[in-house]
Amino acid sequence: MTQLLDARRWWLLVGKHWSENRKKYSLSLTAIAGLLLVWLVFRMTTESDKLSGELQVTTFYSGLFIAGCLYASTLFADLGSKTRGLNYLTVPASSLEKLLCNLFFGVVVFFVCYTAIFYIADVMMIKISNAVMYNRWQKSHVVGDVFHPQEIFNVFSTPGRHDNHPGYVFYLILLYAVVQAAFIYGSVFFAKFSFIKTIIALLLIGLCMAFVINKVIAPILPPGHYQHSITSFEVYTVKKTASGDGVMIYSDATNDKLVSIPEWIGDLLLFLLKYAFAPLLWLATYYRLKEKEI
Amino acid sequence: MIDIQNLHFAYRKKPVFTGLSLQLQPGHIYGLLGKNGTGKSTLLRNIAGLLFPDKGKIEVLGFTPGKRQPAFLQEIFMVPEEFYLPDLPLWHLVAHHAPFYPKFNKAQFEQYIAAFDIPAGSTMQNMSYGQKKKVLISFGLASNASMLLMDEPTNGLDIMSKSQFRKVMAGALNENKCIVISTHQVKDLENLIDRITIIDEGKILFDQTTDTISRKLAFHISFDSEEVKQALYNESSLRGTAIITPNTDGEESKLDLELLYKAIVLNGAAVTAVFKD
Repeated sequence: MTQLLDARRWWLLVGKHWSENRKKYSLSLTAIAGLLLVWLVFRMTTESDKLSGELQVTTFYSGLFIAGCLYASTLFADLGSKTRGLNYLTVPASSLEKLLCNLFFGVVVFFVCYTAIFYIADVMMIKISNAVMYNRWQKSHVVGDVFHPQEIFNVFSTPGRHDNHPGYVFYLILLYAVVQAAFIYGSVFFAKFSFIKTIIALLLIGLCMAFVINKVIAPILPPGHYQHSITSFEVYTVKKTASGDGVMIYSDATNDKLVSIPEWIGDLLLFLLKYAFAPLLWLATYYRLKEKEI
Repeated sequence: MIDIQNLHFAYRKKPVFTGLSLQLQPGHIYGLLGKNGTGKSTLLRNIAGLLFPDKGKIEVLGFTPGKRQPAFLQEIFMVPEEFYLPDLPLWHLVAHHAPFYPKFNKAQFEQYIAAFDIPAGSTMQNMSYGQKKKVLISFGLASNASMLLMDEPTNGLDIMSKSQFRKVMAGALNENKCIVISTHQVKDLENLIDRITIIDEGKILFDQTTDTISRKLAFHISFDSEEVKQALYNESSLRGTAIITPNTDGEESKLDLELLYKAIVLNGAAVTAVFKD
């Protein structure tokens, strides 16, 4: 086990990674903060000094996806260079420890730092925005008008959440984890330009899936539609037309047939769809790292 | 210590090794010689677990290098021809890299750094290529890894540094350590190497200790045309004709590695025949 994973060695790797990259990371975080401020100032000036909750959420997640995936695509960039790759692979630590160290920085540390940076920028801009709006309100308000300051929005609050639905933010974070994991895998898989190549690969995979679903699977299936989830398929009633020269397909509540796979298989599939993709991509990254040759 | 059996390795479709077998023992400094592209660096990278054999077996200290287990990696240190060191102050670098090597000795490192005239408070960013290489060599030696693999270690070193390198290396060898040096610059390492392995066309062309070579071959300058004609190898020089002859009289001569290398490459069969007796 100690050859596979050792907490002390992993912590040494974390220290080494931080000592070698702290300058780069500090600069990158400053750049992210700068870009967020520029963007929020731009939106403030174009939206009458308002920073709505929707804008804050959109900004947070857009930035998270762009910066997170960009950073993820550099996590194993050392392997693209012969000299750096040799240095990296000969460090006395296991491939699992090296992967976990990079995941720690790429997934955990990045997320925490990005969120902190976002809120620092957000709080600053909300305060500025409120001050500007209050100033304007003082000059132009009529008696009875109440000033409503803008509030800092919780980007992790989950609108649309109810008993059976965790809300779209939850799925957005899950999607981010999967996309970021794909970029981490891309950084090991592609020696150069991994960010661009991963985007192209993801687009190609998306196109292939769309083709298979629409041109291969859809023609095989009888007329109908998925009901509520991909585990239930409602088959439409097929009737001949009165003249008998064709068929008429329609949905009717009484004769339609609902084809469902057993609930537990459906639950399992949904669970895997939601939670398995990112870990599977991390696992693929681990094996790719183990097999890497320089 | 290193056991290579029937090693086959190819880059895509270009074969490099087709059945190479080699055993290396601790307590020696091996000189790995060969023409450009004969696979010296590839062999070192196979030993270090950076490349995986297509066929055959490599065992280093009982480990399979390709698995890159931490226990293996902390017993092997590679000084590649082209290398990377992060831009950190020297002591920062040691503080974050040394703990990975359980046998790392800081006092030894300081001693090597001093021997190489590296300013103690310097940063990698401000160092020349040669200075960085000396830091890497010092680190490798101070790691006290059982296997030290060096690919063209004297490339980029100035004349004084080459002399310092030989001195440091000679003092670093012990009975538990095996040092493999791949080089073209044979003159730099003439008095350092105690076993010479020449690779050609992916196979071992020659593999002998310097003691055996000195016992079996004589190296000298000759003005006798008959002797020159019968020599295993001859090469004209300003001082006369440098020749290699079988050492039938047990005479002591200074091993000329460059001459030996040329003799083996150009007249390998005749030279190796002497060692079969």
